[in-house]
Amino acid sequence: MNVVAATPPMIVAGTAVVSVLAGLLPGRWARREGPTVLAIIGLLAAAVMSLVLWGNRQVALGGGYRADRLSMLFNLIFIGCAIATLLLSVREPAGVDRRGEYAALVVTATAGMILVAGAGDLITIFLGIEVLSVALYVLCALELWRERSLESGLKYLIVGAVGSSFLLYGLAFLFGATGSTNLTTIGSQLTVASFNTEPLLWVAVTLIIVGLGFKSSAAPFHMWTPDVYEGAPTPITAFMATATKAAALVAFLRIFAAPLVDLVHTWQIAIGAVAVASIVVGNVAALVQTNLKRMLAYSSIAQAGYLLIGVAAGSVRGAQAVLYYLLAYSVMTMAAFAVVIIREREVEDGEQLSSLAGYGRDRPFLGIIMTLAMLSLAGFPPLSGFIGKFLLFGAAAEQHLWWLAIVGAVGSIVSLGYYLRVVGVLWFGQAATDRPRKLLEVPAPVILTTAACGVAIIGFAAFAGVLLDVCQQAALSLLAP
Amino acid sequence: MPWLTALIIIPAFGALSMFIVPEGGLVQARIQAALAAGLTLVLSAVMLGHFDRSASHPQFVEHAGWATSVGLDWSVWVDGISIWLIMMTTGLFALAILYLCFRTPERPRAFLALILLAEVGLLGLFSAGNLVLFYVFWEVMLLPFYFLIGMWGGQGRALATMKFVIYTMVGSLLMLVSIVSTAVIAHETTGVYTFDILALRNVAYTRPESIWLLAGFLLAFVIKLPLWPFHGWLPDAYRTAPIVVVGLLAAIVSKAGVYGLLRIGLPLFPRGMEFFQYPLILLSLISIVYGSLVAWRQPTMRMLVGYSSLAHLGLIALGIAAIDAQAAQGAVLQMVNHGVVVVAAFAIVGIISARSGKEEIDDLGGLAAGAPWLAGVFLVVTMASLAIPGSNSFAGEFFILAGVFRHDWWAAAIAMIGVIYASVYMLRLYQSSMNGPQRGGDARRVELRLRDVVVLVPLIGVMGFIALWPQALIGAISASVDNAVAPAQVAVGRPPSEIHGIVLPNPPSAALPLPTASSTEDSAQ
Repeated sequence: MNVVAATPPMIVAGTAVVSVLAGLLPGRWARREGPTVLAIIGLLAAAVMSLVLWGNRQVALGGGYRADRLSMLFNLIFIGCAIATLLLSVREPAGVDRRGEYAALVVTATAGMILVAGAGDLITIFLGIEVLSVALYVLCALELWRERSLESGLKYLIVGAVGSSFLLYGLAFLFGATGSTNLTTIGSQLTVASFNTEPLLWVAVTLIIVGLGFKSSAAPFHMWTPDVYEGAPTPITAFMATATKAAALVAFLRIFAAPLVDLVHTWQIAIGAVAVASIVVGNVAALVQTNLKRMLAYSSIAQAGYLLIGVAAGSVRGAQAVLYYLLAYSVMTMAAFAVVIIREREVEDGEQLSSLAGYGRDRPFLGIIMTLAMLSLAGFPPLSGFIGKFLLFGAAAEQHLWWLAIVGAVGSIVSLGYYLRVVGVLWFGQAATDRPRKLLEVPAPVILTTAACGVAIIGFAAFAGVLLDVCQQAALSLLAP
Repeated sequence: MPWLTALIIIPAFGALSMFIVPEGGLVQARIQAALAAGLTLVLSAVMLGHFDRSASHPQFVEHAGWATSVGLDWSVWVDGISIWLIMMTTGLFALAILYLCFRTPERPRAFLALILLAEVGLLGLFSAGNLVLFYVFWEVMLLPFYFLIGMWGGQGRALATMKFVIYTMVGSLLMLVSIVSTAVIAHETTGVYTFDILALRNVAYTRPESIWLLAGFLLAFVIKLPLWPFHGWLPDAYRTAPIVVVGLLAAIVSKAGVYGLLRIGLPLFPRGMEFFQYPLILLSLISIVYGSLVAWRQPTMRMLVGYSSLAHLGLIALGIAAIDAQAAQGAVLQMVNHGVVVVAAFAIVGIISARSGKEEIDDLGGLAAGAPWLAGVFLVVTMASLAIPGSNSFAGEFFILAGVFRHDWWAAAIAMIGVIYASVYMLRLYQSSMNGPQRGGDARRVELRLRDVVVLVPLIGVMGFIALWPQALIGAISASVDNAVAPAQVAVGRPPSEIHGIVLPNPPSAALPLPTASSTEDSAQ
């Protein structure tokens, strides 16, 4: 067994154990800051290992885990999101008294995601998704004194379980159709025999799309998203919107863009339809939201739709576009949530859009970051969100999926309605005069993370050439035998 | 030395430099902005000096990689069409900054930074050598105007900005789909994945492809222009925006749409233009008539000038849609003329309304008695605006109408009515504000001061120069325009004697390196 190849998930899982124990240490500082510090150190070590392992595929755990360029790139995304979440959680009420659990659960979820990204086996995919889901169920409900938070955790648990069962059922059918759980074997089985008319496979594809649709919060499996996103502690919402979405998307890629890629015509329309539904539902529903977290939840549904355009293309270009857009999407969503997190601690109703009225003039720096995030999410050039959409539409057009490209463009137009509303409120809005303007000192880790995300929104666009090469290599590794 | 790149980047540095201006550093902000705008103007003038006026090929070509693997490149150049638009942009922005230096708005640092950022967008747009870059700058220029109207606008600015952005974005995002599809289809027919505008001229699209691809671009262009019925954003934006912003919108941003037609529409999609020619002519004619009629009934000076600008842009668009070399030359000349004249008109409107505190035409009258210099300048601008023979606009409008008349005499006849009507509304504006009984307080207050003279004199000077020697512009424009129009001329079957430009192997599909199924399907039609 190749132990080195399996180090990233092992290090991260080990870190989870260590950091939960650190929460039990004597001493106030060690108890409060120790778990976070240890978690970040562990995650950084896993990131370093991911960089070391960047290269051709190495297999571990009997074919169950693959360390290839794709999984390593995703490791970096997950670890980046997890570290950002931990830093943004500094002085977050949910984590103050139970720092140990908080950090450990975030790290555990990350370990699950890393398993999904490196899955070489259907079992690993399911295992990873369950690990990350269970950790998130708890995290959502961690603000025990808030009813909304408890509701959020319960809702996510129930809907998540339904989604998981669909996924499991679908994976079982796929196993039934091919006689193997190993992705490589499944791929070769499917190329040997013509399964185009095989009903088992149809059922499997449908169920897997439904199951992963729940996890990636794509419409029409999105109903839980707004409530859960609204109720969960905001850093956890940010983590779910970025890393969990990336994990669901990598599961899509691992299953559809690799072993099932030759059967693209059986699933292309289905995934395309889910993409269209997500873009329509997410964008239209976001238009009427007044709560920023709900608005970002609907926006994340729409963004899942854009990402699925790339999956539906079923090509290397499509996968490359998905990877780049995920990178861009993670930083811009994280930046948007970071501003919400900061505002939430300043005023009671900080997650309401109205609380941001005139905020850009009070705090130009945060205003600029939020503006960048919104414009990038809306696909304004030359920001990274634009390049991502440009690639996704290009991948769809290349496969002659014109309708997907057009729906994506029309969806982006609709999305301006709410993204620009935020920008407008930030800069043009008049703050309510009866309320004293409250500007608290923001902890350094929070402000640094926010700034880093803002810089990355521009940086990912400026260095698109390098990043796209990396994404292309990662996308090609999907198809490597 | 990358002249053109420097030209685009200098205003960007100017905008960034506003961040280092301390709070309340009004003088410093003005000096920095004026330096950036002035340097850009000087640089563009130097470039004009080095520009080879007889050549039709792109000049000052600059390339740099960005994300080459997906076709994103920094690729800029200018030709006989864009050099004049760039000159106009740098000149008018320098004057706008000068105007602002004397009348500082609230939050001057942000205002000046946004104006400079708008200049970056427009200069980049006029020099973009590939479609993606064109799109990037198309959007970049939108953003500053959004903030300028939203933060410094008058009443109703929230609705105005929303309309402005949604209208323009509807067009531009579909344009993005068209851009991507253009490259994909070109890739399938030629095997090269590129967004380079010059390279794409060699691609022959089938007629349906050409029509659909052009449709995406066209929507963006006619909204930006705007042509009737896509002008819904215009009244609100013009009514609420600060006068400087209105002037820049009418003078330069509207030209972006015309420029797109000429740079992308005609050369890349000749067969699509053949399909859309008459719809475009029709919309242009309606814009001329509608703009003129509505301008006549406007209560305020700025809206009158704003709607007159709609009519003038209709005429310019007609010059392009006529698919005639002479008309297109006239259109390019008229783009510059209109830019200069409309800015002068808005500047005068701004001076009068700022000093007298009145915008309504009916509240003003007899100003000439107390402000003879202002009246004189206003008369010159009025005459130039209605294209009286001997004025700078006359040459441009004459070229357009002559070119249109050659193929569609009826269109020229209708357009003529609109042109004549210009004298009705412009003279109404002049007469009722300058002549007659005195209204609107002491007229001596609105008399020109030094700060107005420094803005208006260059504009009047340029008008006089073009009026006396239009050939200076036409000579450099014609070669590039001939090339841009030639493919479309072939597509609509103009006689060879009219086609002066180089006709690329487009549309004959036999000339393609890789004949494909789509091209055989095309020949069957």
